[in-house]
Amino acid sequence: MLALEIELRQGGFALQAQLTLTEPVSGLFGPSGCGKSTLLRAIAGLVRPQRGFIRFDDTPLFDAAQGIDVPPHRRRVGLVFQDSQLFPHRSVENNLLYGFSLLPMAARRFRLTQIVDLLDIGPLLKRRPRYLSGGERQRVALGRTLLASPRLLLLDEPLSALDEGRKQQILPFLRRVRDELRLPMLYVSHAINEILSLTPSIAVMDQGRILGQGLFAEVIRQDHLLGLARSLGLENVLRVTVARHEPEIGSTTVRYDHHELHLPLSALPPGSETWIALRAADVALALQPVSGVTIQNQVAGRLMSLRRVADRMIAEVDIGVPILAEVTVKAIRDLGLTEGDTVYCLFKARAWQYLATTG
Amino acid sequence: MWPLLQPTPEELTALWLSVKIGLWCTALIAIPGLVTGWLLARVQFPGKALVDGLVHLPLVLPPVVPGYLLLLVLGRQGPIGRWLYETWGVALVFSWQGAVIASAFMAFPLMVRAVRLAVMLVEPRLEETARTLGAGPLRVWLTITVPLALPGILTGLVLAFARSLGEFGATVTFVGNVAGETRTLPLAIYTYTQIPGGDGPALRLVVISILLALAALWASEWAARRTERFLGNPKS
Repeated sequence: MLALEIELRQGGFALQAQLTLTEPVSGLFGPSGCGKSTLLRAIAGLVRPQRGFIRFDDTPLFDAAQGIDVPPHRRRVGLVFQDSQLFPHRSVENNLLYGFSLLPMAARRFRLTQIVDLLDIGPLLKRRPRYLSGGERQRVALGRTLLASPRLLLLDEPLSALDEGRKQQILPFLRRVRDELRLPMLYVSHAINEILSLTPSIAVMDQGRILGQGLFAEVIRQDHLLGLARSLGLENVLRVTVARHEPEIGSTTVRYDHHELHLPLSALPPGSETWIALRAADVALALQPVSGVTIQNQVAGRLMSLRRVADRMIAEVDIGVPILAEVTVKAIRDLGLTEGDTVYCLFKARAWQYLATTG
Repeated sequence: MWPLLQPTPEELTALWLSVKIGLWCTALIAIPGLVTGWLLARVQFPGKALVDGLVHLPLVLPPVVPGYLLLLVLGRQGPIGRWLYETWGVALVFSWQGAVIASAFMAFPLMVRAVRLAVMLVEPRLEETARTLGAGPLRVWLTITVPLALPGILTGLVLAFARSLGEFGATVTFVGNVAGETRTLPLAIYTYTQIPGGDGPALRLVVISILLALAALWASEWAARRTERFLGNPKS
């Protein structure tokens, strides 16, 4: 669908990205300042790479070698900024219609009423942008872009200017756009839980480079991403199903494969799927089950590999899924662990964090 | 009646001439000033520093200097002036049209500066958003850049008009001091102060000048408030 290979130098920053997106909805994930926004601007045609190509559905949007550079207004690539960028001198309605009214009838994929209903912005139509809340602004910005009938929707941190409560209010609208309008989307964020709320398919970016792409749980486990995963506390990521809640003891039980894990109480409905993450340093290893401790989860597995990274050991344990444990060299020596041994992985319930519901 | 409120026909002529020249001057530089200010704010092009310098030169030179240069170029012996006269029979020297050109040169940098500042304050990502929504560069300019820069553009136009009303040096050097043709308010005031018994008329014209300036300021305030409301930022 979207394929690109570009080199772009801007000031002291160098972007060298190679990306092929085949899923209708993909996430682009990476720390702030890693070049995600610049990459989106290049796709939208707002900055010109020095080298390479950008293709969408096999039509070139940019090709340095062939001298092709489709101007942004002919690319039909929608871009929603973090801070909405509504036109202050136009009412909400006239903001919504800005791109729409430029389209020939035949090219209009949606009707105004359809988008207004989808995003629930009917009561705002006559207002000026300055009188809207942050969440309302973002919905209008999204609607304005949708009405311009883009072939590809780029979302640049569309929720990061909003507080947690508002984010949860906007996410369902994004899911509706995904499910009802079936528009190809590239969602950029430094918050992995936002991306995972929309899609498990991601590309990871750091320091101007795409480091990997594919399914999140697989990509994040790749060796060369360990550093990034470690800094984000995402070395262990599991997709689990919520089994039951026990609010009186503050516990939620989730299931993966045939195993159960006890986690802190969550608000997710039983039966829903979610991602949970655990730092490798929060995993302890034991030779046999331990009694008389508060640690809630003890899962037996096979020690698959032991690697020394700087002054510590990374142990990979297969408990149905691979789990990385970060322990000291001394601890491994004291236990006399070698590859192939059976070990118990100990997880504190509270060390797990919920990443997102998969809607 | 108070004599201050009874200007002679001669003085009224100076007043209307000033207003006429001021309006023509403002109209003449509106579009070029808008485009130049925008270019200097947004577009990188070779020779930009030179253009910037030339535009601003009248602001820092003694007004007599641009006036004299205009005389050299547009005077009847000047390269363009001679061509104008021989081809079209147009003589700018000693004519009110020449006065318009003199004050246009003096007012142009003020217009350009106001527009440049206003355009620089327009959020570039609003323009980029408009591009991604399917608007070409000209449409973005007309529907986003110019409307959002409107308060600054209006300020520039008022400054230009006021500058034209006050123009003296370049005008008197280029087109002289011809009653009814190029004798605007400042020139008339100067003339009256040079003749015996001219104190009364001079003072009357001074009062008229002040009233005119106040009216222009008030009109610009009113327009600024209207545009701010149009832009969705009411002051209070």
